Amino acid sequence: MNFLAGWPPIAIAAGITVPPLVLLYFLKLRRASHTVSTTLLWKRAVEDLQVNAPFQRIRNNLLLWLQLLILLLAALALGKPIFEGSRQSEDTIVMLIDHSASMGVEEENGKTRLEVAKEQAEAIIDNMPTGSKAMLIGFSDRATVVSAFESERSVLKDRLESIPQTDAASTLTEGIALAEAYMQNLVIAGDEAGADITIESSAAPARVVILTDGNIEDADSLTIKRLPTGDMQIVSIGERDDNVAILSTEAKRNYEYPQMLEVFSLVRNFGTETVRCDANLYINDKHVDVQSLELKPGRIETKKPEDQDDADDSPESEPVRRNQVPAAGSTASVAFDPIEFEGGGSVEVRLTIDDAMRSDNAAWTVVQPPRNVTVLHVGQGNLFLDRVLPTLPIQITKMTPEEYESADETEIAEAARLKFDVAIFDNHSTERLWPGSYIFFGGVPQIEGVKAGRPVQGGIIFDWDEAHPILRYVGIGKVLIHQWLALTLPMQAETLVEGEDAPVMALLSQDGMHFLISAFSLVVEDDISGQALLNSDWGFKPHFPVFLQNAIQFMTGSLSFKGVRNVRPGDPIEFVVPDSIDEISVRRPDGTVAKVQTGQFTNVNYAGTRTVGVYTAQPAVEGKEQYAVNLFNSTESNVAPSKVLKLAGTQVETTASVEIVNKPFWPYLLLGILAVLLIEWAIYSKRVFV
Amino acid sequence: MAITTTSKTEDLLDPEFIVRLERLEMVSKKIFRGSMRGERRSRRRGESAEFADHRNYVVGDDLRFLDWNVYARLERLFIKLFLEEVDLHVNILVDVSKSMAWGKPEKARYARQIAAALSYVGLANNDRVSVYSFANGLVGELSGMRGKRLLPKVLEHLQTIECGGISDFHTSCKQFSLRHSQPGILIVLSDFFDKGGYESGLRMLLGKKSDVYCIQVLAPDELEPQLTGELRLTDVEDEDVAEVSMSRALINRYKQNLSAYCKGLQEHCTRRGMTYAMTCSDVPFDQVVLNVLRRRGLFK
Repeated sequence: MNFLAGWPPIAIAAGITVPPLVLLYFLKLRRASHTVSTTLLWKRAVEDLQVNAPFQRIRNNLLLWLQLLILLLAALALGKPIFEGSRQSEDTIVMLIDHSASMGVEEENGKTRLEVAKEQAEAIIDNMPTGSKAMLIGFSDRATVVSAFESERSVLKDRLESIPQTDAASTLTEGIALAEAYMQNLVIAGDEAGADITIESSAAPARVVILTDGNIEDADSLTIKRLPTGDMQIVSIGERDDNVAILSTEAKRNYEYPQMLEVFSLVRNFGTETVRCDANLYINDKHVDVQSLELKPGRIETKKPEDQDDADDSPESEPVRRNQVPAAGSTASVAFDPIEFEGGGSVEVRLTIDDAMRSDNAAWTVVQPPRNVTVLHVGQGNLFLDRVLPTLPIQITKMTPEEYESADETEIAEAARLKFDVAIFDNHSTERLWPGSYIFFGGVPQIEGVKAGRPVQGGIIFDWDEAHPILRYVGIGKVLIHQWLALTLPMQAETLVEGEDAPVMALLSQDGMHFLISAFSLVVEDDISGQALLNSDWGFKPHFPVFLQNAIQFMTGSLSFKGVRNVRPGDPIEFVVPDSIDEISVRRPDGTVAKVQTGQFTNVNYAGTRTVGVYTAQPAVEGKEQYAVNLFNSTESNVAPSKVLKLAGTQVETTASVEIVNKPFWPYLLLGILAVLLIEWAIYSKRVFV
Repeated sequence: MAITTTSKTEDLLDPEFIVRLERLEMVSKKIFRGSMRGERRSRRRGESAEFADHRNYVVGDDLRFLDWNVYARLERLFIKLFLEEVDLHVNILVDVSKSMAWGKPEKARYARQIAAALSYVGLANNDRVSVYSFANGLVGELSGMRGKRLLPKVLEHLQTIECGGISDFHTSCKQFSLRHSQPGILIVLSDFFDKGGYESGLRMLLGKKSDVYCIQVLAPDELEPQLTGELRLTDVEDEDVAEVSMSRALINRYKQNLSAYCKGLQEHCTRRGMTYAMTCSDVPFDQVVLNVLRRRGLFK
């Protein structure tokens, strides 16, 4: 047996309670009256005993001994006694607690997975030997150190309780990096002066406990350098797997009839049962349409044949669930009837179903009132652009580069912002830029960090993000490009098309300006003759107009400028606010309002987006005041807990609960106290009524 | 002669036991000179059927006692001397202090029973029986009883004595000595628990040259106390308080003290020619009378 709290509390408790008991025993001894024929002999006997042994009375008083025993047991209980386990020495524990959307699943016992995880973490904290340190890291889409290495249990528990439930996806990379960074600090701090500071030298080996339901996006791609993977324990939280999720939602205006709004959703069943539910459409919280769905099981439970041996329980036999192709019939596209809606606002698709996870049962998108997009086309003349742009439902203003550079500011900008929804530059680089959206073909914005290098001829397109809204339905892989500029872009640029050495097409947001930069133009000017030469065959491809439409829509739409159509929980939203506004109010989906200081900037980033729903800023530039935050994450919506998790390339088996090495002994001590109390009471009663 | 038993007699003495007592006769190691002629031979020459000696006739002697047979043979006048038979004083002192009313069975009742039995033996043998009760002095007296017919009176007297008062053995013995001058058999029935001590009292009794029997009566709870816990012991007589924590050691010490006390009393008695007997109130009193006291030489 060992004592988690050590001997000091026992000694203090015993020191405080035992002497007063003995003292009180002398001062306030309750005696039963009894008549005898004479006290003559009794007095002599007492005197004899007192002369011979002054403490005889104490030694032989059973009640006093029993009371002392009770105090001793209580004092021992204060020392948090435990049954001897394998871990008695000081321990260093790193606890990573998942608080992503899937941890909000309410299990059969009425507790959410996060609550269960917190209970398990508390059990670990309670069983830490004295002198142990524990670090708490909460992780979802990003990781936060909830508590640095701390040995005080009450502090750890308080901080544990402060971990909030989020609607974000779960990634572990940041959490592991944080833990490793803290571990490194611990090691260095633990070294004695003059000793060699080596990472592996003197630190106590940390025990890593990950409390998760296993739905971690980046589990496979993790890199674990310093944390001991061998001593890693993954506690799988949760049992439920019935979940239906909306994986995407889009609201588009009809190309020919802009007042008609078309809404599409993709719904998937991740459970093992066939599900029937309704998909309801709300526009500005007004119910407008409903569609019934029947979704077949997304996961088929494979029953193990009886004659199969136990080898099937090995981690290798666990079917890989992540990124697997959905089972037939488990996914349904919901296309609501076109609705006549000329205003702007939020569109919500909501499933009427009681399943494990609620945050993916609704999806939102924001639509703007139909209007002609204004486009400034700056270029010397480009056959393809000149032909295609007029076919799009946009209002074009055309300028040559010289006209643009010499134009009065009022012609191009208004209220310190670009007057047009988007400006397209063809073969022209400029530094005359205002906050707004720009598309560059064969040129670059002359801003810090962006450079157009030497032309690259005959390069190969390696990769492109075909899922990106700009490249949707665009087969850029088959496009031939003669030459493009070797672009140098800042770190935050998002590459859409990857070349051999440098990006070919990228998105960049900087200082309130949003750029789609294409390193090539369709037509280039011959250096010698000055004639226009064909640089790419893209203009002949049918998907070029599609690209232009996507690009203009993306750059002018009510989208976040992070490159994704919907803001994911935890990602920042950039509200565009009018000039000279000090503070804006952001109304969150739960109705609460957050005040955000603008710092005199016209672009305000708001990062408190860990709950799904619509975020509205007031005041803000029209069309830039509302954003929808949706989960849209099939990994997170697949709530079935994993029995095996592949971490950093190694399959790690999960356990159902934390390994409590040390079993608490104090409940038995309390039982002992009760028993002794009963005995003491019985003896006392017997003596009083003699 | 059979006596008529009454309910009072039955309370203290069983009729069957009385029959057994009939055979007993109280004896004294010393021959005393009684005030009346009794049934006991004394060293004194007197009138009785038992011849003792002859002496020369002197003028004035009772001519009835002349031994005419000797005169016929020797022609000299001799007076026949007979052993004189005297009566025996049997004094019974019964302790009736409060402490005697303690114990189960009660010590006082036990002492009364013994006193009744001894009284009966005395009365049956035409001894002069006196019963005294004492506490802080002599509190009751029934003296000069002789003959079995007076047994009911003796028993009634024993029955009516109430226990009370603080034991003062010295004063009681002193008062007894002053009132009673005749030697005889003196039986003291008491627990001898006197905080003033028993020694001086016993010394008073010795002065009369009586044949003294000290019978110490104790209760079973005094010999084997069944006490546990933290107790406040109150003396039944003077309400003196002793606070004790009962333990095996304490009880052992008490028993040692009691044993020493009794042994001290016994030694005191033996040294002074008194007879000591100790009994417990749960021992059948007839055994005490028939066996213990007989062995001590009180009866023949």
